[in-house]
Amino acid sequence: MSPTVAGPLAVLPAHGVGSREDLPLPFHLLLVGAGLALVVSFVALGALWKQPRLHREDGRLLPIMVSLALDSAPVRAVFVALSLVITGWTLTALVAGADTANNPVPSVVYVWLWVGLAFSSMVFGGYWRLVNPVRWLRRGLLAAARIEEDFALAEYRLGYWPAAAGLLAFAWLELVAPDNADLLTLRVAVFGYLLVSLVLGLAFGPAYLRTGDPFAAWSSLYGTLSPLGRRADGRWVLRTPLHGPLMVDAQPGLLAVTSVMLGTTAYDGFSGETRWYSFVQSSSLPAAIWETAALVTFCLVVAGSLALAAVLSARLAGVSPRGVASAFAPSLVPIAAGYLIAHYWSLWVWEGTHGLAKMSDPLGTGANLLGTAGLNAPEALIAPGFVAAVQVVSIVTGHVLGVVLAHERAVTLFPRRAAVLGQLPLLALMVVYTVGGLTLLFSS
Amino acid sequence: MGLALTLSLAACGGDETAASGSSTSSTTSSPSASSSPATTTSSAAAQGRTIRITITGKQVSPAPTTVDLAVGEKLTLVVTSDHADELHLHGFEIEDKLTAGAATTVTVTGKDPGVYEVETHEPPLRLLKIAVR
Repeated sequence: MSPTVAGPLAVLPAHGVGSREDLPLPFHLLLVGAGLALVVSFVALGALWKQPRLHREDGRLLPIMVSLALDSAPVRAVFVALSLVITGWTLTALVAGADTANNPVPSVVYVWLWVGLAFSSMVFGGYWRLVNPVRWLRRGLLAAARIEEDFALAEYRLGYWPAAAGLLAFAWLELVAPDNADLLTLRVAVFGYLLVSLVLGLAFGPAYLRTGDPFAAWSSLYGTLSPLGRRADGRWVLRTPLHGPLMVDAQPGLLAVTSVMLGTTAYDGFSGETRWYSFVQSSSLPAAIWETAALVTFCLVVAGSLALAAVLSARLAGVSPRGVASAFAPSLVPIAAGYLIAHYWSLWVWEGTHGLAKMSDPLGTGANLLGTAGLNAPEALIAPGFVAAVQVVSIVTGHVLGVVLAHERAVTLFPRRAAVLGQLPLLALMVVYTVGGLTLLFSS
Repeated sequence: MGLALTLSLAACGGDETAASGSSTSSTTSSPSASSSPATTTSSAAAQGRTIRITITGKQVSPAPTTVDLAVGEKLTLVVTSDHADELHLHGFEIEDKLTAGAATTVTVTGKDPGVYEVETHEPPLRLLKIAVR
């Protein structure tokens, strides 16, 4: 994190994003949230529907003109062009910008691409597949070489596994890697990502960029919660946040990627615990080793606990445990989304705004090209009382959605008599995740 | 020597009143005078509560905690490291040099509510968190 600017004392603060953290969640809100989670879980168990009720064909059709516009080439081209301009602008700052705290790249990579992409996907749906600059880079290269657009060297069969690995690597870079806001580190990371994605995209074709690309998976899985989506026949509809996750296909690595989504955010909360970092920083081993181990452990614990609960549930319901963990993995998506909002809301408001201010001066020349240089985060959105409310509401909402999703899956997969009993292990696990998430917010 | 320093500082306790804070600062500020920049937040006279922190290699004493600070309240940190380093108060936008063995005094005033980290860079150590309420 140390600045590399010359001079005896840097006037600017060191690099890095997130110089301000939220106040701990008040204890009474922890109790309220945990109590609500428990009550909702057991009410849901007894009172919810007994037959599958959410269908892939559900949803209120959008007006035909809106649907046509969303699918029209010019509208899509506008979004793609916007994405390519932001990418080019950011790469310029990355290559030619000054290595100071005013460089926008750390904010763009760690805040916009991570938190901003997730939040905006929750609102508008998984749009990264469309605007992914690698997709258009690949297409441009193929067009230049006069090769067909769906060219691939091999059939893509890895499902979400590359996404899980890529998201874990990104989280490691953001949460563990030393000097992760230095331009040199970011250059290696950004160009490394572009190169690897392009090679994999060329080797496996568009199927890789749809599912295996880390940010495509990040955006499309959080995007399932959006009210805007496509129903089974591909038509645009408005629907509940429950319908999207149920349409996620159980491809290989689905449990892994959802576990990484939840585990990395939970680790970020945990890493702020005073006793943990006191131990880590004074240990004789390098801190990065402990932190890496903890990050991976959090993801493994999420995956392992869900797999265990799913197997137990299957046993209690008297069905084969095969594929049950993957079938319930989508119910982790709203829980992970709740954690993500609770954890990064104020970072998004604060650093997201400052990122926009810094983007106005990509080369560190004092320019104000976008007119956003003086922009400040709206205070009301990060006032402590408001943030605490956002945290509890998002975690409890994520929990409720997760419970209802798990219920729908249970009545779909399990015989009717055993469906209630079969949900118990999964419900208990979700309560643990939710109370754990609230406790992390309270104690760190 | 590090141990002796720690012991003597432990005897001073973590919190002091404004009056005793200002009396002790005169003894500690002289060695660091050469490295103290002319920022408004660093001053010779300690204000508000005073917290003394000693860094010995990778050990921070007292162990890191979260310190509450009311909006408008002042807090003075007196940091002594056994090696040259940089002291960085996130959010308060303060970076100050630490000279080996000499105390560096920094006073901050709680302004925007939130939690802010106080850290050093070589090696990266978190000294404490300041929770402004």
